[in-house]
Amino acid sequence: MRRLAVLSFVAIIFSTAVAEEKLSFNRDIRPILSDKCFYCHGPDKNTREADLRLDVREAAIEGAAIVPGNVEESELVFRITSEFEDELMPPPDSHKSLTDAEKELLQRWVEEGAEYEAHWAYLPVARPNVDAEGAAAIDAFVDARLQMEGLKRSPEADDVTLLRRLHFDITGLPPAPSDLVRFHELGLEKYVDALLDSPHYGERMAIEWLDAVRYADTVGYHGDQPLEVSPFRDWVIDSFNSNKPFDEFTIEQIAGDLLPNATIDQRVAAAFNRLGPSSNEGGIQDAEYVAKYQAERVRTTSTAWLGSTMACAECHDHKFDPFLAKDFYQFAAFFSDILEKGAWTGDGDYQEDPNGLLKSGVILDGSGNRGRGPMLMVPTEEESSRLAGLESSLDSARKAYEATSPEFVSAAKKWSGDRRGDLASNQPYDYVYLEDKGEKNEVSTNGWTFVTAKEGNVYQGNVARKQESKELIQHIGNASKKPLQVSEGDVLFAYVFLDATNPPEQLMLQFHRDDDQWNHRAWWGSDKIPYGGIGTERPSHHKRGNLPKVGEWVRLEVPVSEVGLKAGDKITQLAFTQFGGLVYWDTVGVRTLEGEYRGGNLPDEIRAILTKSPESLSDAEQNKLVEHYRTVAPELEPRRKEIAKLEKEVETLTTAIRKVPATISAKRREVRVLPRGNWMDKSGEVVHATPPHFLPGADLVKETEATRLDLAKWIVSKENPLTSRTFVNRLWARLFGNGISNVLDDLGSQGEWPTHPELLDWLAAEFMESGWDVKHLMKTIVMSETYRQSSHATPELLERDPYNRLLARQSGIRLPAELVRDNALAVSGLLNPKVGGPSVKPYQPAGYYQHLNFPRRTYEADMNEDQYRRGLYTHWQRTFLHPAMKAFDAPAREECTMEREESSTPLQALVLLNDPSHVEAAKSLANSSEDLTDLFERVLTRKPTEEELRVLQELYESEKARLAKDEAFAQGLLAVGMKKLSPEHPVEIAARTSVARAVLNLHETITRY
Amino acid sequence: MNFDFSTQLKRRAFLETSSMGIGAVALAGLLGGGRSVFGAVENSVGDASKGILGEKLHVHPKVKRVIHLCMAGGQSHLESFDYKPKLAELDGQPMPESFTKGQQLAQLQKRASELKCMGPQFAFKKWGKSGQEISEMFPHIGAVADEIAIIRSMQTEQINHDPAHTFMNTGSIIPGRPSMGAWVNYGIGSEAEDLPGFVVLTSEGGGQGQPISSRQWSNGFLPSKYQGVQFHSKGDAVHYVNNPAGVTREAQREVVDAVNGLNRMLGKRRLDPEIEGRIAQYEMAFKMQASVPGLMDVSGESKETLEMYGCTPGDGSFASNCLLARRLAERGVRFIQLYHRGWDHHGGIKTNFEKTAGLVDQGTGALIRDLKNRGMLEETLIIFGGEFGRTPMAQGSGRDHHIKAFSMFLCGGGIQGGVTHGETDELGYSAMVDPVHVHDIHATMLHLLGIDHEKLRYRFQGRDFRLTDVFGHLVKPVLG
Repeated sequence: MRRLAVLSFVAIIFSTAVAEEKLSFNRDIRPILSDKCFYCHGPDKNTREADLRLDVREAAIEGAAIVPGNVEESELVFRITSEFEDELMPPPDSHKSLTDAEKELLQRWVEEGAEYEAHWAYLPVARPNVDAEGAAAIDAFVDARLQMEGLKRSPEADDVTLLRRLHFDITGLPPAPSDLVRFHELGLEKYVDALLDSPHYGERMAIEWLDAVRYADTVGYHGDQPLEVSPFRDWVIDSFNSNKPFDEFTIEQIAGDLLPNATIDQRVAAAFNRLGPSSNEGGIQDAEYVAKYQAERVRTTSTAWLGSTMACAECHDHKFDPFLAKDFYQFAAFFSDILEKGAWTGDGDYQEDPNGLLKSGVILDGSGNRGRGPMLMVPTEEESSRLAGLESSLDSARKAYEATSPEFVSAAKKWSGDRRGDLASNQPYDYVYLEDKGEKNEVSTNGWTFVTAKEGNVYQGNVARKQESKELIQHIGNASKKPLQVSEGDVLFAYVFLDATNPPEQLMLQFHRDDDQWNHRAWWGSDKIPYGGIGTERPSHHKRGNLPKVGEWVRLEVPVSEVGLKAGDKITQLAFTQFGGLVYWDTVGVRTLEGEYRGGNLPDEIRAILTKSPESLSDAEQNKLVEHYRTVAPELEPRRKEIAKLEKEVETLTTAIRKVPATISAKRREVRVLPRGNWMDKSGEVVHATPPHFLPGADLVKETEATRLDLAKWIVSKENPLTSRTFVNRLWARLFGNGISNVLDDLGSQGEWPTHPELLDWLAAEFMESGWDVKHLMKTIVMSETYRQSSHATPELLERDPYNRLLARQSGIRLPAELVRDNALAVSGLLNPKVGGPSVKPYQPAGYYQHLNFPRRTYEADMNEDQYRRGLYTHWQRTFLHPAMKAFDAPAREECTMEREESSTPLQALVLLNDPSHVEAAKSLANSSEDLTDLFERVLTRKPTEEELRVLQELYESEKARLAKDEAFAQGLLAVGMKKLSPEHPVEIAARTSVARAVLNLHETITRY
Repeated sequence: MNFDFSTQLKRRAFLETSSMGIGAVALAGLLGGGRSVFGAVENSVGDASKGILGEKLHVHPKVKRVIHLCMAGGQSHLESFDYKPKLAELDGQPMPESFTKGQQLAQLQKRASELKCMGPQFAFKKWGKSGQEISEMFPHIGAVADEIAIIRSMQTEQINHDPAHTFMNTGSIIPGRPSMGAWVNYGIGSEAEDLPGFVVLTSEGGGQGQPISSRQWSNGFLPSKYQGVQFHSKGDAVHYVNNPAGVTREAQREVVDAVNGLNRMLGKRRLDPEIEGRIAQYEMAFKMQASVPGLMDVSGESKETLEMYGCTPGDGSFASNCLLARRLAERGVRFIQLYHRGWDHHGGIKTNFEKTAGLVDQGTGALIRDLKNRGMLEETLIIFGGEFGRTPMAQGSGRDHHIKAFSMFLCGGGIQGGVTHGETDELGYSAMVDPVHVHDIHATMLHLLGIDHEKLRYRFQGRDFRLTDVFGHLVKPVLG
């Protein structure tokens, strides 16, 4: 709730200081003008009234609103003090009004000469002078301000509090009681170094960064389907752990794919560009969603790095800051090269054919139309070498397969001769229409599966269709795209194998003609399937006979005329239908005289060649026959099988390898200014990628074809005043409870004048000059006395500075959602400390995903050691975030989030009291503790006071008495969670579990003081 | 959530709960200039459950609460409240191009060149003394026709489900804005002693169940105590509301007592206003563990009541949810939202509409009658309708999404019953007379609750936000 203090803080705290010294425009005046005047007299020309702007001094003077030094002549002063409603500014109907104090400040400012200053956040970062270095410099700035207010810093926090604070802030995991000894042995600095070296440091740092870059495991819109993104999260963790300089960290996320010889890691980082929500809702318009995605990228990038609210400039020029609508779209144009669709449905189009752009290691996920396109494979070392091995085996297998010996050529010639004979024959023959899988990707659906001979029973080819049910069941066989054209006298056939012990009551073959419905059916057995009408006899319901023999393959046949098909009719689909029983279906076709199908399933081209006289064939045609023969030659069957097997292995491995959405640079889309943000309005001017026009250094990027790499480099250039300030300010807020400028996502005009402007600039300069060294920044801050002071507030201090803006103490901060979980798991010994990997699924209330659809899904908690992973690895379902995470204010990450709320609600109490994760932690804690004192100390790193211990003991005794009366209660409590306990004294351990629940629920347990 | 004891809004909690002898006057000054902007109303520090406006509402309130019956998926106006004989005449004929040229279509975009009219699939009847024209598929709603004000000229801006719901709930299409239930609770708080102030219930059936995101009842940037809490008809009604196995209510009480006892000891050592808040939350949570099951247990309802709603307790149906809505209303819940996911009739509209209407009609009619019988209707606003309507053009045997025109109805306190407002063109394509925008519904709803939609604001990212953004007009003709 740091935000609540914003304006009021300035007004009150500064009131004493302000009386003596000259007013500062940025500190005292801009907030008033911005909030009360700029809406109508500011940067946006479209809503500017009376052609007057007050955000530019010259304009205000020219408009006579301000006559510097002359209050009487200044229209502004006249208007704000007028007693008449029609003259008064701001006008009453604007619902804005000035307080008397604000009016006085504005008058005094005019009197003092109405000096303007450029907005503080847009001025270059200059390192202020201070007689101290490192952490001491921080203290010097804070002390200077405290001295001005007549206050002093608090004494250093006690060791336990400080140790816990350092742990929660640096690694996010609580100290074990024994860490206190180590803390004393190593001393502060070495201990801090050790924490910074922990692999858990990167996990703690990742949490807020993942909020900023809206990292989540699902697509966000509509069906909110899962999308594999977790390698990006691991990259963030690794980057913090390896202390990757923040400028590189930035460049790799925005443009890692554009770096020369980009590594896989850099390309993983670039997935940042594709983490935003996307949609595959049916019926959405491609262009509309392209516009949504581009706007979202501008919002996220400008907020996360620049602390700016560029979002406001999507529909119009910014009302308070100098961002123009054109700036918004010029910024968007940096991202226009990203290969993507707007609608991830059949209606969406890439800006260019993706196939030519897929670099090594990238596959195109086209699962249905719903995949998210290019995915970068992120193999482990082991997977990489296995993949390389498989690919080399595949290569040699293919070479062997493609070798052409003279013997092979003569075999091909013989085969060709035989086929010519077939084609010339006048006997009816079988043409197989559907063998094995029809369309390449045909997959089993409910109730039936493809089986191999090993798994079941196959007539011929590789697989058959096994279908089993107690009632009516059917599936449609998607044959090929090419319809089957029937001729006079043709007989359709299919092979079936009826299970001897579980035969069906009825079989039915249904044929779909291209130009009508399913009106052609033949059936065997008893009349139970309603299609075509029970009890009727007609082409749409034609009885062929009794059920065939069970326990062997039988050929079912039906002449086309019996099911109402005439010569020339085209069959496009067929359905395998049965009532009850277990049936294998295989090999569907037609027995025909028709020449077109003669010669088996020959491709048209080969058939054509075979009908020519052998002598007339060109070399190319000869060659085609040889190559076709290669695909059917019996002697090559083992080779073909080997290749298929290897290909299958490559496919399986490719599926198993972790992936992340790939950012691929493609042809740029045209970006126009969209009037009022309307994607259908094409009247706006076409723009080119350029940083916001007014920011220093923006002119560094001048090329009309500036790239994301140019943008990234500009963002971390020394000239850019915003990036470093935004980052250090946000880190500060995490470590002190308040930002130095307390609107973390808006350093602009409507943000807050910093409480310690020099400190903010010193930190920003120190950060950049250290080479964007994040660990250095972190260490410098936590080593400061300001950070280390006690968070105890005195009544006087609480009254004087309730929100702790002056830093005369530390702040108590409720642990973020992830850490609430981590802490319970860690102190109870359940925590699985594994770093990185795919997201995990802790226990979650049943039915929580009932509103998700396309597809419907059920959440299945991990029932292995992944159950006990840290909170940041929790599967992040954007539209239905895990309820325990949500209760403790974790954001949905549908948008860039720079600051989490810190709420206190009864839902949090319900989570800590009743969520099986927490109950199981209590159980485990109880079971591993020696006694109640030990239990308490494991959680809070201190021993309970006598008074506290008494409460714990009373609870223990009372629970023990209750549970002893009915041991089933004890067993019930001990059965919660995946890890079953069967202790020797169940009643005692269960009673202690109740005590552990109480301790895990304490305010002190979930607060970092 | 919104509870008497909530301390989520820290600055308030700080004053309410602090016993440290802080000068209340100085703090009141500090609070007065906070982030919230509420026009002339300067709220004194008071009960958090009263909301930011406290007793000082902007206008005289007509109702205490809102029940939003959301027909999720987009119920067809042409089969419900907007009879179009001309469309029946043109059934199967090409849709005149003058209507559709240059307009955004959803799934029909692909077949934009071959659009055909589809006549209304059901007959309409004139109901009640007012003679309101309502589809025969809604006999129970028809029976209360004199209580409801139909708006036939609704329009929205978003043509796909997810963004359209977001727009209907928050007045914006950018995810992360507060929903209307959150705004209302923020503004005027809740009277519920031991339940959240904003409760959501859902049901489905009759058509493809489009997903509904929990974003639809999000608090957005408002404090999280104002978020909607979803109650479930199966499993725990509220997540984690039941005790763990082996823990009785008495045992839970002892654990809560121990937690609060230890927290009080901490409070003696530390000057941290959050501690008092935490203690209050545990008391509240413990109360909820009893009140939520009490709410869901309808065994005390009379046989007549159950018959009127036509529901079997615990069946998770829309009708059951309507009954729960009345019980929530009785318990002082401020904003109650019922979603029925079943109206997305792209195909087979004749069968599916009938099915869905059958699932929704009786419960809706019963809720209105029940509230009226208990004298509660005049203090309740009921809003009925989907996130958009459906095309007059056929999409196979169904209708596609449509945003240029659709129908809703309002009912309850301050609403003139038996009137129909607005008109669409002769084919039901565009709202022609008195178009009503989603923002206008928001403005009207807030007005009935005593809130001026231009004055209820919240400062976020440097800007004052409203539910109605910079839009919104009262729909005066439907106000009584």
